[in-house]
Amino acid sequence: MIEIKNLSKAYNKGQVKAVDNLNLHVQSGEIFGFLGPNGAGKTTTIKMMVGLLNPDEGSISINGYDTKTQSIQAKSTIGYVPDNPDIYDRLTGIEYLNFMADVYRVSPEDRQKRINDFLEMFELSDAASDLIKSYSHGMKQKLVVTGALIHNPAVWILDEPMVGLDPKSAHLLKEYMRKHCEQGNTVFFSTHILEVAEKLCDRIGIINKGKLIAIGTMAELRQGSGTSSLENIFLELTEE
Amino acid sequence: MNLFFTLFRTNLNLNFGISALKYRFRKESKKIPETLLIVIGILFGFGSLIGLYSFLMYQVFSAGLNLGQPEIVLTIAFVSAQFIILIFGIFYILGVFYFGRDLSMLIPLPLSPYQVLGSKFAIVMINEYLTALPLLVPPIIIYGMGTGQGFFYWVKALILVLATPAIPLTIASIFVIVLMRFANLRKRKDLLTIVGGFVGLLLSLGLNFWIQKLQSGNMVNSIQRLIESDLIKMIGQSFPPSIWATLALGGQGFSGFAYLLLFLFVSLLLLAAMLRLGNQFFYKSVLSGQESTRKRKVLSSKNEHRRFNSSTSPMMAIIIREWRLLLRTPIYVLNGLSGVIIGPFILVLLFFTQGSAGGSGSYTTEQLLTLINRPEFMITGTLSALCIVLFTAGMNLVASTSLSREGQTFWISKMIPVKPKVQIVAKLLQAYSVAFLSVLVTVIMLALFFKFSLLRIAIVFSLGLLGSLPLTALNLLIDVLRPKLIWTNPHEAIKQNLNGLLGMLISIILLLLIGAGVIFIVMIKTPDSLVYGLLALVLLLLTVPSLLGLFNAAERTYRRTEV
Repeated sequence: MIEIKNLSKAYNKGQVKAVDNLNLHVQSGEIFGFLGPNGAGKTTTIKMMVGLLNPDEGSISINGYDTKTQSIQAKSTIGYVPDNPDIYDRLTGIEYLNFMADVYRVSPEDRQKRINDFLEMFELSDAASDLIKSYSHGMKQKLVVTGALIHNPAVWILDEPMVGLDPKSAHLLKEYMRKHCEQGNTVFFSTHILEVAEKLCDRIGIINKGKLIAIGTMAELRQGSGTSSLENIFLELTEE
Repeated sequence: MNLFFTLFRTNLNLNFGISALKYRFRKESKKIPETLLIVIGILFGFGSLIGLYSFLMYQVFSAGLNLGQPEIVLTIAFVSAQFIILIFGIFYILGVFYFGRDLSMLIPLPLSPYQVLGSKFAIVMINEYLTALPLLVPPIIIYGMGTGQGFFYWVKALILVLATPAIPLTIASIFVIVLMRFANLRKRKDLLTIVGGFVGLLLSLGLNFWIQKLQSGNMVNSIQRLIESDLIKMIGQSFPPSIWATLALGGQGFSGFAYLLLFLFVSLLLLAAMLRLGNQFFYKSVLSGQESTRKRKVLSSKNEHRRFNSSTSPMMAIIIREWRLLLRTPIYVLNGLSGVIIGPFILVLLFFTQGSAGGSGSYTTEQLLTLINRPEFMITGTLSALCIVLFTAGMNLVASTSLSREGQTFWISKMIPVKPKVQIVAKLLQAYSVAFLSVLVTVIMLALFFKFSLLRIAIVFSLGLLGSLPLTALNLLIDVLRPKLIWTNPHEAIKQNLNGLLGMLISIILLLLIGAGVIFIVMIKTPDSLVYGLLALVLLLLTVPSLLGLFNAAERTYRRTEV
């Protein structure tokens, strides 16, 4: 469950409002797609949710924990995948995963099962003993996803998770997201691939110039705009 | 040609961070005082070094004048400038030509290899002026003023100074281009870093010994010996351009200009040869090193079991991560570890060479050794040893760049559910273990070479460990207060990080203050045991606020830093 209230963040001494009084509620068991043009405030919002940026105003609660006052508890329930997989180049894949499992206090049995599952799913088992610096962008992305989900977090927050993934891995990840939500968990992700959002998401939010300009299920969005495809809705709403 | 200049301008901008600087002045006005302070500090430090060098060169000039060879000062200047540029140029050029991150962007552009190579070479050349100018300008002024040279001297000098880096750099470039064509070193970047680091270390050590040797005696004698020593002649003979430069400046009329022309002609010839060679080989060797290989070792089930079963506490996991990243990044090992371990060795080495080189008035090594172990020098010897231990601990770059080294991966530390205090304790323990290592090495040295008794060893060891803790904490605190997280090359995190310098400075000031206090209580004939007791108390008292300050700062920095 994610609860965002009156969230604002400005850059350049208040001149550029990256996120402007954002209110959002994502329920448990829901896949929420966060859309918007480049520079609309998607990544800024996500980074505030996971504690990488400090909000100027407003509050965020993840699974009932306030990210400001109960940051450690909130972080424990989040699995975050950033838009750019900057990870420790000089660790091996398996060392990175073990590090993540250690800091999230995952038991040896659980980590063994989850790491094996993910490595097999992403076809990374062969490369797990290599240094991360030898990985391709896509392989790094897969490793980051694995590291983020290793503690089976209740809330997944993913910033453009499909970028760099091959079609098979992207497909598997989507299936995994669906399965995760069916177990009563929450997935919040940003994407530019409207098809994915249209097919996968229970609800969609569109942000433009820091403001949430539309939110709802696909049916609700269609009804509101009068057009049928998400692409048209998106273009219409973000044009002005 | 236009393309070349566009590329050159862009490279120049990147190299000196001109756009970044403009942005800083326009958008981040808060940081201007800090930038100015750094610039003033560098100018001050650099200025005093140049002053010292000018003084030395003036002495050389005077000694040369007495021997009827005043131009020796010019030969020394040109030989040393070109030699230094040649040696360091090889590694510099290797880095800029073949290991630059911009290569993958430049190769697809519609540019000839010689244009890319030329623009990169021009940047290296401009950077090398930073080496050449301080080495050449003072001697040229000293000689020019001292011998009352006219207008043409200064014109020739200007041309020569500007052209000086060309010959050693083209030679280094040609060497590197040919080397890279046949030996694919791109895959051995780590090895090259280590080799380069040790060459630098050996050169500075060699220089140190050479100067030490020359210095035994008075100043005039040493300069006379310097002038007569074969080294200069040898280098001058095997590297004639330095002699040509001297003759161009020292020679009058036509012969002076002839040598100048020879110097310039050879420079241009080498440059043309380098570009020609580069056009043929540069891209070939760059491309042949692009592919990266993986071992592709499949996890065996036995291996797997061992790997997953090793779960540890978050703090231990962070300590292990810190150690792995440190040990696997050559530049961190060279700057963070080797100094701490090699430092005590160098000190011992200096002590013994100093002793054995001692002529009249100084002690031999044996005499010094007996002196250190005499009862009346007991406390002085022990405290000096302790001073060395603490000094080495205070120079610990592992602590003063700990947070900076995380760079762009700092988001992981911000995101994981581990309290900043726990993370910083892990970093402190890692840095402290480096200090521990250094104390251990020093103590072993003291036992082996200085024949310290067990009790003195125990005192130095325990007080060394106690004192290393606040020093390590303070060094870490500096990095926590102003971490340098934005960098693309690990060099910037450890070598070009002001925090390292600040940490050393603060450690030195602190040690001087403690040292002064200790000297005072020793002078008033305080019993030895009380001196050690008081020292232990002071160090302990220092530890508490250092740690508290560190933990507070960590909470704040981890919360406030945005990535």
